[in-house]
Order: sequence, then structure tokens, then C-alpha cells
Amino acid sequence: MFDLSPEEYMAMMLSLKVSFFSVAIILVPGIAVGWLLARCDFVGKSLLDGILHLPLVLPPVVTGYLLLLMLGRQGVVGRWLYEHFDLTLAFSWRGAVLATALMSFPLMVRSIRLSIAVVEVKLEQVARSLGASAWNTFFTITLPLISPGIITGSILAFARSLGEFGATITFVGNIEGETRTLPLAIYSYIQIPDGNEPAQRLLIISVVLALSALLISNFIERKTTRWLEAQ
Amino acid sequence: MLALDVQLQRGNFDLQASLDLEAPVTGLFGSSGSGKSTLLNIVAGLAKPDQGWLKLGEQSLFDSRKRINVSPNKREIGVVFQDSQLFPHMPIQQNLMYGYKRTDKKHRRFIDKEIIDLLEIGHVLKKRPHQLSGGEKQRVGIGRALLASPRFLLLDEPLASLDKGLKQQILPFLKRVKDELQIPMVYISHSMEEILHLTEHLVIINQGRILGSGHFYDVIKDEGVQGVASNLGLENIMRVKIAEHDEIHGQTEACCDGMSLHLPLEKKYQRGEECYVSVRSNEIALSTQYIDFISIQNQMKGRVIDIEQHVSRITVIVDIGQLIAVDISPKAFAQLNFTVGSEVYCLIKSQAFAYLGGRQ
Repeated sequence: MFDLSPEEYMAMMLSLKVSFFSVAIILVPGIAVGWLLARCDFVGKSLLDGILHLPLVLPPVVTGYLLLLMLGRQGVVGRWLYEHFDLTLAFSWRGAVLATALMSFPLMVRSIRLSIAVVEVKLEQVARSLGASAWNTFFTITLPLISPGIITGSILAFARSLGEFGATITFVGNIEGETRTLPLAIYSYIQIPDGNEPAQRLLIISVVLALSALLISNFIERKTTRWLEAQ
Repeated sequence: MLALDVQLQRGNFDLQASLDLEAPVTGLFGSSGSGKSTLLNIVAGLAKPDQGWLKLGEQSLFDSRKRINVSPNKREIGVVFQDSQLFPHMPIQQNLMYGYKRTDKKHRRFIDKEIIDLLEIGHVLKKRPHQLSGGEKQRVGIGRALLASPRFLLLDEPLASLDKGLKQQILPFLKRVKDELQIPMVYISHSMEEILHLTEHLVIINQGRILGSGHFYDVIKDEGVQGVASNLGLENIMRVKIAEHDEIHGQTEACCDGMSLHLPLEKKYQRGEECYVSVRSNEIALSTQYIDFISIQNQMKGRVIDIEQHVSRITVIVDIGQLIAVDISPKAFAQLNFTVGSEVYCLIKSQAFAYLGGRQ
């Protein structure tokens, strides 16, 4: 049963690629926004928080459609990107990365924000008084202390990206080899006769990937908390 | 040395402080919420005042009018917080050297070994923060601050989270830092005893205002401070010289302005040593004549200087060589029938005296 056809293999690899890039592009913004929300008070903070969480509560189709309206060839931003950078996002795997990134960003931010909130501000203040600049303090004190949060956030985001369906299919379609990720492939197989067997194979792969992500996340979290060993 | 005049408003809290600190060690005393930690943060550059200026020596660290605000890492002011705040992800050695590594070689005033020996922390260098006892952590915290070669050291209740026995262990180290390294310090605490262990120079802060500053004996007698002082039971403070420990009778005899006082037995002070004791004004009784058969050990003759009427009590100021305040009830006052100028005896049980610590 476990001989993957080239199409199935392609769907799996594409899913991994899209998820990897989606986590990669939200990692730094996730830390920045997480820090902003945990440490700063500013006008419009709740609004920013709300907008960030929107993809979690909106139907994914709506998010995908919004992306299509803005970033499609006819969209304001999409046309501009195409004219100036010759870049097309709609119906390409890059667009899939963008859609999944947007969908998993709130998870990333949430996890990082929580871990920043529990870092004792006085630790950073002591570091400053010992001669470390603000950036140096961030890299030598804050970042190591929130690394478990960053790792969990990344893995959650990765798992969320693997499962993204609605926004992806709406924004970039279901093109084999380009945008047909695992969930889209499963969906496609169950639409056709004789599709049951490949669909079930991909289903098992999905479960295994998601479960491994969670197990790895737990494992790393345990390791790092032991490494950090709070006072 | 350290001079400032700053204002800061945060919500309902408002701080207005003007200070000029010259003593090697200044005790900053106040209850929680009084603004003492805010003041410390301002000095360290961790909080920015709305207005004012701050100078360390000749260098201006903050000046709202000249738009000067030196960042905390450039101020060379060390901070030690209550819970040592060791970096949990670094071994002790790395914690200790964090500031040292970031200090210019030319500006380094101490060698690591010197500080490690002084604070006796050589045996914990390889350990991690969570493996240390509270006292060890605090010594490492102090060492870490010292190794950054600060020009000024701020200690924010460094002993508050330690139990009494441990406090007694750390205080001598702080005295060593003060005597041997000669870094000027501000020591924040709500324990007068701790402060007096290190210094007699005191600043009292309450609700964001400096109530008094100077030698503690003068500060505590200052009228503006009386409210705070009486809350602490420090209305009456006497500087005494220990004369004798009478172990048979369980008391210590001491001298105060030529008078002999009977105090609770306290052998941590040597004969001839000077220290401060306090007695609450409501623990002193008055009598118009000497009483022969009575358990109270101290009867001191004095003259009534002033009588203040309060709602439910009357405060009598008696000159017994120094002024002491005595609270009595209006009924007792009516029965005793004395006026300003009358001769009275102040009756104080030896156990009513509390030691405040002092010079050693």
C-alpha cells in the first residue's frame, strides 16, 4: 500500500516546502510583533492584536478570497508586484506560502508573546546596567530565554501550514505540482473514482507528519526548559 | 557626588525628588509604594523622568532641558535587585563576568579573583543559578555588579527575600564592599536596622516626596518625618554606649548622656560599643515621684517641656538630658496634675527597648 505514486510524493514534498518557507518568513516578524505586544503599550494595540488574530476566526475561504482580490493579477498590489518585479503570487507555490504564512502567523505570535511576557524585565535591566546595549541585551538575555517559545511557535505554525486548505485553494487554486499540497491532494482524490486508496495513504502521511511535529515540539520544549532551568 | 532634581508622573503616582548625596553610603528608607524603587530606576536610567536633571560627579546623566539622557549601559551605575536576578541560562562564572567582559580594560577597577575572594563565592563558579542558596545568589549578584566597575552602586532591598539568619551573613559582606572597595552606594530598605548597619546617612521618602535627608539621628527627629517615624515606633531614639552585660539578671547596662539604662540582654555588642535603641512613646509611663517598689527597671527624672493634646491621647515631651515623647491617656493626665516645667519620672521597662543596630 505504501508505494507512493509520483503525484502523491510531489504533494507531500510540496507541502513540506510550502510549510518550511511559510515558517521561515514569519519567524522574525513573529518575534518582533510578539515583543511589541508583550512589552509595549501604544495606541491601537488592541486593534493590531485583533487584526492579527483575524485569520484564526475568519473562514479561511474569506482570507483566501481577500488575498486574491488584493494580490491577484487584477488586484492593486498584485498588479504593482507584477509590473515592477515580474512577480506573480496567485496560482503559484509562492502564493501558497503567503497564504499559509498568514494563517499560521497568529499561532507564532501568540506563543512568542507569552514567552516574552514571562521573562523578568529586571533581568534585562540588570544586563543594561552591566553595560549591554539594548540589542546586545536582546540577543544575550531575552532571545535565549524565549527560545522554547520560539521553537514551539514555529512547530505549531509548521503544523498549521501543513493543514492549510481553504485560503490556499481559494488564492492559488489546485494545480498539480505547483499548489496541490497534501490536503488539496486528498480532497482531489476523494472527488474521483478509485481515489480512495491514494487518499488514505496521504491521510496516513498527514497524521504522521502532524504527530511528529507535535512530538518534536514537546521534546524540544522539555530539553530547552531543562537547559534554561528557571531560577 | 550624586545630585538630582527630578519629577515623574505615572497615573496617580507622582514623584518629586531633590537630593544631593555625599556620604559613602546612603540609606534610602520608605514603605512599599513610596517611590524609592522608582527613584532608583531613574538614577540607573531604567525610568525616564518627565522633567529635571541628574548628575553623577561632574557628569550630567539626565537633563530634560538640554535633552541629555545617558543610556543605562553607559552610566556605569551598578544595580542589585531584591531577587539577585541571576541570568538563569548562564553558569555562575558567566553571570559574574557578564559586566566585566563589557567593561573597557582601562576602566576595570577589580580583578575577578579579588571579588570572588571578597564575597567567598569561589566554590559556586561552575554551578548554575538554581543550584545556589538565596545567600549565595545574592553574593553573586553583588559580585556581578562590582565586576562591571561601577562608579556608583544601587542596592534595592538586596536582603528582603532572605531570612533573618541569612541577612546576618550577607551584611558583613556589604560592609566589606563599603570599607574595602569604596564604591559609593545607595542602599534601599524598609528595615532601619539593616540601614543602620551600613550607614547613618539616611533619606526618607514617602508618597513620592523626600521627607528628610541627613544624619539619621537628625532626620528621625525632624518634624516632617514624625508621622513616618511613629509608624515605625521610632519616636524615641537614644544613642547609647554599652557598659556591661549582666547575664545573671538577663540585662545589658548602657550609658546615655550620663544616665544609666537597663536594656534587654544583647551580647552582639561589645562593651564600650555605641549603638542606637528605640522605645515607643506609648510604652513609657509617667510618674510625679520616684517609685520604690516596682518591677520597671528604668526611672529617669526629667522636666516637662511641652504638652500636646490629641484626640485620644496626650503627648508629653520630657527633657531627660534629651527630649523624649511620652503618650498618656487624657484620664491619666488629669489624675497626675502636672504642667509644663513640672518634674516627672519616665518609667520604661527594659524589655520595651529595641536595638536598632549601629556602628561597630
